[in-house]
Amino acid sequence: MHMADALLSPVVGGAFWVVSGALIGYSAKKIAQENDSSRTPLMGVLGAFIFAAQMINFAIPGTGSSGHIGGGLLLSILLGPYRAFITLASVLVIQCLFFADGGIMALGCNIFNLAFFPAFIVYPFLYKRIAGQAVSSVRLGVASILSAEIGLLFGASMVIAETVFSGITELPFKTFVLFMLPIHAAIGIVEGLITYGVVSFVASTEPLMLQGASKVKLNKVVVITFAVAAIITGGFISHFASSHPDGLEWSMANVTGTEEFVSSVSGKVHALSSAIQEKIAFLPDYSFKSPNNAAVESEQTALAGTTISGIVGCLIALLLVSGIGFVVRGKVRRVREGA
Amino acid sequence: MHSKRLQLFNYNRSGVDSASSFVNSERCAAIGVPSLLAFVLFVVSVPKFDITAVVAYSAFPLFAAILLNISYVTLFKRLLILSPFILIMAAANPLLDRQPFITVGAVTFSAGIISGIVIVVKSVVAIGAVIIFSYCVHFTSFCKVLRTIRVPEVFVTQLLLLYRYSFLLVDEAQAMQRARSMRSFRKNGTGIVTTAKLIGSLLLRTASHADHIYRAMVARGFSGEFDRRNKISFKLTDWCAIVSIVSVFVLIRIIF
Repeated sequence: MHMADALLSPVVGGAFWVVSGALIGYSAKKIAQENDSSRTPLMGVLGAFIFAAQMINFAIPGTGSSGHIGGGLLLSILLGPYRAFITLASVLVIQCLFFADGGIMALGCNIFNLAFFPAFIVYPFLYKRIAGQAVSSVRLGVASILSAEIGLLFGASMVIAETVFSGITELPFKTFVLFMLPIHAAIGIVEGLITYGVVSFVASTEPLMLQGASKVKLNKVVVITFAVAAIITGGFISHFASSHPDGLEWSMANVTGTEEFVSSVSGKVHALSSAIQEKIAFLPDYSFKSPNNAAVESEQTALAGTTISGIVGCLIALLLVSGIGFVVRGKVRRVREGA
Repeated sequence: MHSKRLQLFNYNRSGVDSASSFVNSERCAAIGVPSLLAFVLFVVSVPKFDITAVVAYSAFPLFAAILLNISYVTLFKRLLILSPFILIMAAANPLLDRQPFITVGAVTFSAGIISGIVIVVKSVVAIGAVIIFSYCVHFTSFCKVLRTIRVPEVFVTQLLLLYRYSFLLVDEAQAMQRARSMRSFRKNGTGIVTTAKLIGSLLLRTASHADHIYRAMVARGFSGEFDRRNKISFKLTDWCAIVSIVSVFVLIRIIF
């Protein structure tokens, strides 16, 4: 489940960028300390493997639809927490930048939701304890299904929290929970089953592959600190920032030390632009009726920076920009053909 | 049947040629990475009822798409694949927030409709910008910029290896999937148990690739770190370009 930019406020997105960035830095440091370059290509190729494995569809029992593996838990089992986290984060970066799946601002959230939980929480605290070193298929099965389930539910809950903190959608918390959690609980069982299938196949054919990861020692204090830090930053800062109408103005005000800076600049520019607008506007008297309710009206006049003429003006500007684009493109083509 | 991921992968594979011959990928990466981050930040920060600002920002990806001659059909299909979740969330807004917002003629638009439209336009603009970035900037140049801004070596190496081998392994996965469907009727063989074995054998092949790659890398002098010179230096012109691009974003944000 990838978060999208359009549902996120800059504050929440930024907070999770910082947390996920710090986690990448920390994991990279740990891997550098291990000084085991033989596992570097394994990480790279396993990342590519996750891409490839996601393209193999399977039928989901009882639904008639098909799904694909997520792979977070599988990577953690194969690589251990730090390497799995870096590998999952790299998969998400490429999905974001080169397939545009999951937004850039949401990248921090996505890394936290989809990589942090399987690698740092579920694998060391749940999977490893239940599965242990044994290759008993019952323990392996219970561990895989339970871990995949819990990991996905954590991830889905974070998606809910991030979206609700951002306040872009009107969906109430309760509805959102009822919408997200049952779906992810079902996906979790399927993910657990397929992970179990793959792990038991590997355990029977190439058992050595599964041993590398279990030796990695995890610094649990640091991991828990990160989890708490993320939730505090995401929750508290966004709650605090949401009393400001606009996250960017709020942060600009923080940088310049004064809120008047923004409003005075914006006031002057507004005055200037409205003066220009008055001269060139082709719809000067066009205005819209507000609803009769006076209280609502005043509130909404404040809210609505949008006017019909503004939108029409914007669309005309878009047409102009497109026109310039076509002209420049034609020119470049002619220059190329001439050369 | 093509999965969503496979479609996205193939779009990316076929689309790169159109723009990469048009621009200098390294300079484009140096200017593009900070500008893209700033752009998305500005688009995301537009308040939830402000249609004019998001429409104004949409001028940038639109201009770039026209200039680079990117197929609108492809762009549109990619947007459709990516946005079902966003569309559901946006569709919920008009149902939940029914307060009248503006009235044009006889039609009253509720606040929910306006904020829903803003969500959709925002996502189209943000996703469009990222897609266009991926058409202009080669992945290696992007990784060089990451090294320049001090992203840890381990992570950049990981990205480079992942990108390079994804093409190889995706082809293998496709071949396996094709072989499976040729040997079975209807949905036979697509069950979880069979697929898990299929993925398991892909995993074993992957591990053997990793081994070969490591030996080849060691034979060429790999000692845990890629070439340290693999960086892009930011020139004065790059800085000027970045500053002017970001100022235009700020200006739009203030005006609208």
